[in-house]
Amino acid sequence: MKIRPVEDLDLEDIAAIDEKIGGTYRPDVWERRIVYYIRRDPEVSLVAEIDGSVVGFLLGEVRSGEFGLEEPTGWVEVLGVDPDHRGQSIGRRLAEEMWQRFRSRGAKTVRTMVDEGMPQVSGFFRALGFEPAPVTSLALHLDR
Amino acid sequence: MSTTTTRLPNRFHSAVESWRERFLPDYQFLIDNWEKYFPKDERFELVAHRECGMCGIIECGEEEGKPKYTKACDMKPQQASHLLGAVKAQASTEFGSIQQHQLTLARAQSEQDQFWVLRMMAEELRHGYQMLHLLLEDDWSNVSDQSGEEMVEEILQMRTGSHTLGAFNIDFDSFVDNIVFCALIDRVGKYQLTMQKVSAYQPMAESMPQMLREEAFHLATGVVPMRRWAEESAKGEPFVTMEILQKHINKWLPRGVEMFGDERGGGTNVRYGLKPMKNGEAQSDYYDECDKVVRDLNLRYIRARDEKLDHKAAREVLRRMTEGGETVDGVGRPEDLISTPDKRFFRRRGMHAWELVGADGETFEDVEEYIRHLVRNLPEQYTAGRDFKGYIDLLRKVHAGELDGGAASREMPNLRHVGGVCPCSKSVRWVQEDANGSVAV
Repeated sequence: MKIRPVEDLDLEDIAAIDEKIGGTYRPDVWERRIVYYIRRDPEVSLVAEIDGSVVGFLLGEVRSGEFGLEEPTGWVEVLGVDPDHRGQSIGRRLAEEMWQRFRSRGAKTVRTMVDEGMPQVSGFFRALGFEPAPVTSLALHLDR
Repeated sequence: MSTTTTRLPNRFHSAVESWRERFLPDYQFLIDNWEKYFPKDERFELVAHRECGMCGIIECGEEEGKPKYTKACDMKPQQASHLLGAVKAQASTEFGSIQQHQLTLARAQSEQDQFWVLRMMAEELRHGYQMLHLLLEDDWSNVSDQSGEEMVEEILQMRTGSHTLGAFNIDFDSFVDNIVFCALIDRVGKYQLTMQKVSAYQPMAESMPQMLREEAFHLATGVVPMRRWAEESAKGEPFVTMEILQKHINKWLPRGVEMFGDERGGGTNVRYGLKPMKNGEAQSDYYDECDKVVRDLNLRYIRARDEKLDHKAAREVLRRMTEGGETVDGVGRPEDLISTPDKRFFRRRGMHAWELVGADGETFEDVEEYIRHLVRNLPEQYTAGRDFKGYIDLLRKVHAGELDGGAASREMPNLRHVGGVCPCSKSVRWVQEDANGSVAV
């Protein structure tokens, strides 16, 4: 397995993995997201390749000043692993490489938000050592 | 990861700013609207960056394992001379591409595409600045009679037509050129920068990481609009069709392939530890990447034609159309898709220069028939221009036995600065070297 930074050539492959997971082909959504991370710091967001095919991706970046957290913090936005390649520690390998890149950019903490309705995702991050942080995610529905 | 930041001495910094005012007049507009398109991104700054903590040991070639050079005067003269040529060529391409992009920037149909290209132009300016920093920071007197000041002046005076590499001497005819150039020609830049990241000359190696980070966005600046155009074309929009995309790929890919140098060469750079790959090897990887871009554009097209197809089914349709030559109901004919032109197509330099090989690899016996093939497969605005005319004149001479291929490659007309080195002179004229190397204006 090869872990490398995400690049423009991965757009279609990432959209295909997302489609396999969620059932919808959303190339424009992934173009926007991936270009954002490429523009910000293309060395931090990563893909995993097996035999030359992209089988997983992890997008994130180091930011400061979010929610009053002034220190450089690694933020993980999205993880995707090809369902046909689950159980091969692809997510873990991507995460370990990303943490290393976060560290080299001065981050001491990694943060993410997970939907508690998706226990698989929550379980994945807990298995990596994440624990609940004293920050609560709140939402207000303006259309109600 | 940490970097040092340097500003050129004032008079050189001002010279680059003056150049910017002339060739990148929308710069202030970019800065004023930065937040709208690039919120959260650090503002652009015209400085040179050097990465700290990079490998200090030569990574390839005859001196592998020895400490990298920090000064050009410590290198072998031939080695330093090769390096100096590479720095000047790199600088020339950075400034050259801005001049090309400026020609058609205003013609973009989408404001976002235009802003992305504008940011890319500003970053190319910084890359040129980075190379000037290398020229001014060190003493090159053991391999050049020119002072740093003269080298900077020479680079800033170059115009489209007088740049070191062919791709930077071709005028853009529409905004499609801006985009396809980013996707294909900036991709060559990615390869060059990646290879130079291991340079035996430490200041060069340290200059590459930040340039590479920025270059990644430049490739996306090209690929994303191309993908959108492929989808729009599939849905019947008349603006940038697959046929137009194909013709522009045919225009630029051969120039990109040639930017690696002759397929058989590059060994000297590897021996000197300046690059880890020979020309042919890097060119081959580059070509495969371009092929991936084309394949993904076709997938996007196919999926927009038949939205019921999932990724796997779309790949199978692509295979049937491209390998089987099938027409597929609800999608279209094989000729509706685009393809990567043959590596030997429309070449003027390297191993396949002046060969009569078509876009699909077919060969021609008759040069006039080949010219008609080129005209059918290249953008109309381009075939009406000077670069194409120069190529055709030489192609006819080569195939009439009036000129050998090597001489023809050297004779492609150039725009040269003919006003001496006076900084106030901006005159350029069409010139052509004769066989003795003298210049006819």
